[in-house]
Amino acid sequence: MRNVAIVGAGQTHHARRRTDVSQIGLAREAVTRALEDAELTMDDIDSVVVCTGPVLFAAVNQPEKWLVDAIGARLKPVVRVTSGGGTGLAGALAAVNQVRAGFADRVLVVAYDKLSEGALQYSISTLYDPFWGREFAVGIMGFSAAYWRARIDALGHSEEAAAQVAVKNRKNAMLNPYAHVKKPVTVEDVLNSRPLCWPIKLLDVPPISDGACAVVLASEDAAKTATDPAWIRGMAYYSEAENAAHRSMVQSEPLTIAAGRVYQQAGITNPRRQVDVVEVQEPYTCFELSYYEGLGLCAPGGAADLISSGATEMDGDIPVNPSGGCMGANPIGATALIRLAEIAQQVRGRAGDHQISDARTGLMQAGGGWANLRGVAVVSNTKG
Amino acid sequence: MSDSLLTGIDDAQVLDANIALPYTLTTGRAAGTFLAGLGDKRILASRCDTCARTMTPAQDYCNRCGEPSGEFLSMPETGTVTAITRTESVTLALIRIDGSDTDLMHRLSSGGPAADVGTRVRAVWADTPTQSMLDLDCFTPDDSGAEPGTPSPTGDIEPITEIPYAIDLAYRHSYGPHYGRLFDELATRRRILGSKCPQCRNVLVPPREFCDICFVRTAQHVDVADTGVLQAFSIIHMEFVGQTRKPPYVYAEIVLDGSATRLIHTVGGHDVDTLKERLSIGMPVRAVWKDAADTRGTLDDIDHFAPVFEQLP
Repeated sequence: MRNVAIVGAGQTHHARRRTDVSQIGLAREAVTRALEDAELTMDDIDSVVVCTGPVLFAAVNQPEKWLVDAIGARLKPVVRVTSGGGTGLAGALAAVNQVRAGFADRVLVVAYDKLSEGALQYSISTLYDPFWGREFAVGIMGFSAAYWRARIDALGHSEEAAAQVAVKNRKNAMLNPYAHVKKPVTVEDVLNSRPLCWPIKLLDVPPISDGACAVVLASEDAAKTATDPAWIRGMAYYSEAENAAHRSMVQSEPLTIAAGRVYQQAGITNPRRQVDVVEVQEPYTCFELSYYEGLGLCAPGGAADLISSGATEMDGDIPVNPSGGCMGANPIGATALIRLAEIAQQVRGRAGDHQISDARTGLMQAGGGWANLRGVAVVSNTKG
Repeated sequence: MSDSLLTGIDDAQVLDANIALPYTLTTGRAAGTFLAGLGDKRILASRCDTCARTMTPAQDYCNRCGEPSGEFLSMPETGTVTAITRTESVTLALIRIDGSDTDLMHRLSSGGPAADVGTRVRAVWADTPTQSMLDLDCFTPDDSGAEPGTPSPTGDIEPITEIPYAIDLAYRHSYGPHYGRLFDELATRRRILGSKCPQCRNVLVPPREFCDICFVRTAQHVDVADTGVLQAFSIIHMEFVGQTRKPPYVYAEIVLDGSATRLIHTVGGHDVDTLKERLSIGMPVRAVWKDAADTRGTLDDIDHFAPVFEQLP
């Protein structure tokens, strides 16, 4: 299989509402930065993958056709990939496969959402079956809170442990120039914040952001001109049936499968030891705890101890979300690609103030849908 | 499957559903400036300096090279029809405004002289601007024989940055044989139906054609109990657009006795503080139905599920 590398990445300054640009202007900002980072122009790009969340988020159908003009993609192959919160990773996987298959040497992936334009939770409620459940739909938050409540009993993912995730990620976001929320909080602040869908409280919830991210992927040949490529060592995206018999959301089966496959591709047998930096897409704090276990950073039931130990802090042995994760910014359609871009910049030594020193191998996780789509990727500064 | 299911949509077989959402759209510089220009009875274009092309309406980026646009130009109000189509209610045309390199789509005046490709037209302005494309009401054939106009520079124009918008979408979802039977049973017998997989023997609610795991055709419909256990729950304090119950209330995922899948509903019958304190995962619950007179044949015929506290050890 052909090796594929990330040779450039860029993102926008995320904000609750970017009134200075339209949706396409937002996407273009990220594309411009990624191309500058890669020292390339659109003339060097063979193919484009556009990623956004559900179109109801922003009322523009088939937005990729609008984007073609704005990024100079005229007469290039352009497709759109969408898969809820995991959209950016699903798009990156499509791009990786275009390179692996020899269809393209350099693919631009651009992911964005301008969430300030629509009614977010109501839009998400339309993910429910119209016959069955939409009457009681509570966006994704009521559902996520319900299974967190179940994991509190089953795995000890306490409100205090989740609050520690909020404290860590919000602190890390202070160092991220692109983050939209930069406000440190304490465990007490989180525990005392207003319940939205208990056990989820206001400070367990990421902001709603306008933002975009872009990444340039290249074949091994095309990456020869790049000074510091981040090699894709493994990437996978798995789904489970939404309401199949005995579906347990206490542990995520598709995450376990995706992680297993990616670790096999990347030759990782002990992620806690072999990975230097992790970025996870935590739509609520409780999910980060769950992902520690799904990714094998600790044993099932060990997440609360892991966060308490400080191991996932910037200076811990397995830093998770040095960028601040979703707590810093959460433009949903772009969020997964931001996680991939962040670990790529870490292993390229380009992560700026939130650089983890000597990061050589990075791990990222993302997901979408009704918690039934889960993806994982590993990048490294060597081909392996 | 009967022919009627394949050939027609009859009212008894569809669920009328509506998705109505408010938006605040961000125009970006060019569209915002263009809309502001219309309010001032001017048609604005953008200029790409790289390609030496003029685009009407104004665009933030050149649709040929992708570079950011340069200055805005105030265009003549006249142009030539390059394409035309007629519907029952409106005649739409692509119009090449004089001096532009791209076409603008708009409507032609009704009841006036016939237009065709090549017809010269001029802008007709709306009396009252509404910050929309329809501030330019339409184009109408122009037989004055005047020379084509030329673009001129615009002064400073403050763009309109935000536009309120709404979508209101009506859907008619076909029930199909499984959902049709499910909701018939709910309406007539207050029974919840599942379908049984012949391979794994699990009962799946709502009933479906195929088992999601074995992917074999389900064999039969079976009744499931209106009692079950709580698989997960949360307490909803948040209010949002489209909500059908008033917070606070308990969102619940319930596995009905005899089934192996989750049903989404609410738990009630006690105040929320009591429920928060006493509910636990795996606790038995039972359906509390609304008055028979209020039956609609939906899941909402169950008012809520009540916890069965006394069955706990």
